[in-house]
Amino acid sequence: MAGIIFKDVEKTYDNGVTVVPDLNLEIKDKEFVVLVGPSGCGKSTTLRMIAGLESITKGDLFIGDQRMNAVPPKDRNIAMVFQSYALYPHMSVYKNMAFALELAKTPKDEIDKKVHAAAEILGLEPYLDRKPKALSGGQRQRVALGRAMVRNPEVFLLDEPLSNLDAKLRTEMRSQISKLHKQLGTTFVYVTHDQTEAMTMGDRICVMKDGIIQQFDTPQNLYDYPCNLFVAGFIGSPQMNFIDATVEKAGSGYQLCFGEAKIKVDNEALAPYVGKTVVCGIRPEDFHAEPQFAGEGNMIDAYIDLDEMMGSESYLYLNYAGQKLITRVPARYAKRADENITLAIDTSKIHVFDKETELVICQ
Amino acid sequence: MDKKPSHARTVIAYIVLIILTFLCLFFFYILLINCTRSHQQIQHGFSFLPGSSFVKNFNNVIHDAKLPVLSGIKNSLIVSACCAALATYFSTLTAYGLYAYNFKLKKPAFIFIMLILVMPTQVSAMGFINVITKMGMINTLYPLILPSVAAPAVFYFMYSYMQSSLPLELIEAARIDGCNEFKTFNRIVLPIMKPAIAVQAIFAFVQNWNNYFIPALVLQENSKRTLPILIAMLRSADFLKFDMGKVYMLITIAIVPIIIVYIALSRYIVAGVALGGVKE
Repeated sequence: MAGIIFKDVEKTYDNGVTVVPDLNLEIKDKEFVVLVGPSGCGKSTTLRMIAGLESITKGDLFIGDQRMNAVPPKDRNIAMVFQSYALYPHMSVYKNMAFALELAKTPKDEIDKKVHAAAEILGLEPYLDRKPKALSGGQRQRVALGRAMVRNPEVFLLDEPLSNLDAKLRTEMRSQISKLHKQLGTTFVYVTHDQTEAMTMGDRICVMKDGIIQQFDTPQNLYDYPCNLFVAGFIGSPQMNFIDATVEKAGSGYQLCFGEAKIKVDNEALAPYVGKTVVCGIRPEDFHAEPQFAGEGNMIDAYIDLDEMMGSESYLYLNYAGQKLITRVPARYAKRADENITLAIDTSKIHVFDKETELVICQ
Repeated sequence: MDKKPSHARTVIAYIVLIILTFLCLFFFYILLINCTRSHQQIQHGFSFLPGSSFVKNFNNVIHDAKLPVLSGIKNSLIVSACCAALATYFSTLTAYGLYAYNFKLKKPAFIFIMLILVMPTQVSAMGFINVITKMGMINTLYPLILPSVAAPAVFYFMYSYMQSSLPLELIEAARIDGCNEFKTFNRIVLPIMKPAIAVQAIFAFVQNWNNYFIPALVLQENSKRTLPILIAMLRSADFLKFDMGKVYMLITIAIVPIIIVYIALSRYIVAGVALGGVKE
């Protein structure tokens, strides 16, 4: 079992493009870490550097105590699940799973034991003789997991393993992979561009953009305390509303003004911003239609452009003071499109960001 | 769509196909008929019915002391089989090298191989004969076999097939699983390339089986000669000994192995036509 440490790692391709400029990241032993970010953010490259499939231009990579920069993939004691599963098409499920062990010259009966044990956990016993072509997407996915499992690796690497599955299967496999992590007690590094996958599976999530780590924290902390506009917008669905507001001094504290709303925020961090515009971040669920949230200055009366009824709750797309907002309100309080609705903002959950640096000022 | 026009189209398609099939197979039919007829009968003109000289023709061919047919078949088999094996294995290996690895001279290497493809054999024949004479390989089968290691057309076919059917992730998976580079090639890449290899092996086999130009330059001793040279020898025999029945019989013997190879691998030939175009 092993943790992974990136120390000042840089990755520049032969064509001169630097994908990862300076990566410092410590993944603890037995942790489930999700690398998440938009496509091209360097998350897959980071994973492939751990696997040894990409060389490291500068810096050091440690798995456990060993520096791994020059160690070939086969000697790193890692297993990887690919987006396309990468099953060997000419081998049966059994052979696919046994291949790595065969290469390691494991005795035949031990291979047999391990493959059957993995197949049992993953429900693959009836398919061991089949070729990958004769399996469904979900089964292939499980074979790919099984192939990784039998090797008993120190680190499990998963590169967008669920993106080729349909929505229902994805949810199912998500919980299966989480369960597998608990069962195996191994370090998992999981790459995805889907924030829902990241939020539901990771012990910690590393949000990346342009090869730079934006924030590395637990899912709850990322959601509650995003460190900049990018993380705030990336984590959470529907995404956080960003409203331009001016900061005014109000008595001993400050207030954020946009449209009719004047939201009191007593935080000294806002002092340098008086008279300036900041970005006010409010999660869709922090707009309340329930009367008990009504207060002074935190009410908005907005026109509903579009409503999406989800059953228990309703997403309302609002137009307020020239800005588009999304809110999530309980279905029984929701109104329909083309009507006006009065909503109260939960002022304790407001995030304020600097408009220029995009960093958080207070939350 | 209306049923009638599609029906008419089917009929036309069948007629065209029947004509094409006739054109393809008619000459084989003539060949098979004529190998059963004597020289005089053949000179008389064409007949749809077989004659009775099959055994005589066969014996004439096999027992001709100046015509080592059996060793010719053996030589042709050795050359064709070795060429097919070498051409496919090494072309796949080369294609794999250019497909799966990134190195500085990748593009120039590819262009260089493509340039060899447009060079006709005849252009380099004199130089080739000079070289093998100096190497002491004249009048052996080696100069017919060894050059097939470099087969640019086969290489290009393999390269295109890899692009459509060999995801790089498979190679990466093999590396992580513990394969070194040669094992990855032999245990993962080769089996996946099997359909393409089968098609190219057939083509290489047939091409070398029929090859006349280079063997005629290289092979001088009767016992070393391959079948196409023997056929040519028989055809250019002097007027008194010229026997059309014998010629047809030898040609028939020469095409039998190819027909067997085609029948055995026809499944791959059909698949090979669609190769590269359709992804599974």
